[in-house]
Amino acid sequence: MSTAESEAGVNGQKSFTILYWGPATSYTLKEKETLLAHLPISTARLFEMLEEKYAGIKSKVLESCMVTVNFKYVDVSDSASTELVINKGDEVAIIPPVSSG
Amino acid sequence: MAKELVQDDRYVALTHDLLDVKSIMDRVRSPKAGAIVLFAGTTRDNFGGKPVKELQYTSYEPLALQTMMGISQSIQEKHSLTAIAMIHRLGTVPIGEESILIAVSSPHRQAAWRAGEEALEECKAKVEVWKKEEFGGDEGGVWRANRDGAAGVRIDQSNHEEPAQGPHGPILRPKVLGERGHGPVVHPGNIKKD
Repeated sequence: MSTAESEAGVNGQKSFTILYWGPATSYTLKEKETLLAHLPISTARLFEMLEEKYAGIKSKVLESCMVTVNFKYVDVSDSASTELVINKGDEVAIIPPVSSG
Repeated sequence: MAKELVQDDRYVALTHDLLDVKSIMDRVRSPKAGAIVLFAGTTRDNFGGKPVKELQYTSYEPLALQTMMGISQSIQEKHSLTAIAMIHRLGTVPIGEESILIAVSSPHRQAAWRAGEEALEECKAKVEVWKKEEFGGDEGGVWRANRDGAAGVRIDQSNHEEPAQGPHGPILRPKVLGERGHGPVVHPGNIKKD
């Protein structure tokens, strides 16, 4: 891929990485994938994208999860979820309630 | 080989190997300390009476180490600890073996007792590690959640007797108020201070 192409992305879309942890993987059946979108996007838009890809994931998994972007938690409450927090090349992770110990 | 972070007198680590009590105690040993409190969390052979064959732990390692170091720092400051060390095991952990060790040292025992308990509770609430209980046979496994009321998610999709749905999937048994992986949660804030 040339520099010009990677800047423009595919059909103007750019990629980011998403990681699914613990119980989230039993819905996606994978731990990691690369997604394309017209970045930057909000977590609300991310959840819509995932719901389109994995029908039912929003109510079964995402609503009880937290989200990190580049190892920092982002606010996914209704009031903040429209902020454009996901940019090209970011590592996004879906963080279900933990069961450490 | 353990992945670890070290800052001043704080040590946090994740490993796929057996946990070694002595080496984590030695991390906090100091001539300034008159007490070391060590907590060892071990894996139980049942969940609500249902036999568990083994447990599997997975972790978002860079974030989990960062969270463990953050907890260590705040607990050390709050209780004026001499040192604090914590290590969590990942991968398959057979029944009866340690999955987590937390060691704290302080000049006097009271602070160490409190800090040890508080550090564990903070870990169980925040550290980005997920536990899957394997029941063996055709049953598959269940992801657990420490948070009250967050039920496990079944891995086996072929189960036809559908239990009631909770926020993470089927609820396999009614929750016990305040229960977490190592038994009822004792809130450090409720411990009587003298």
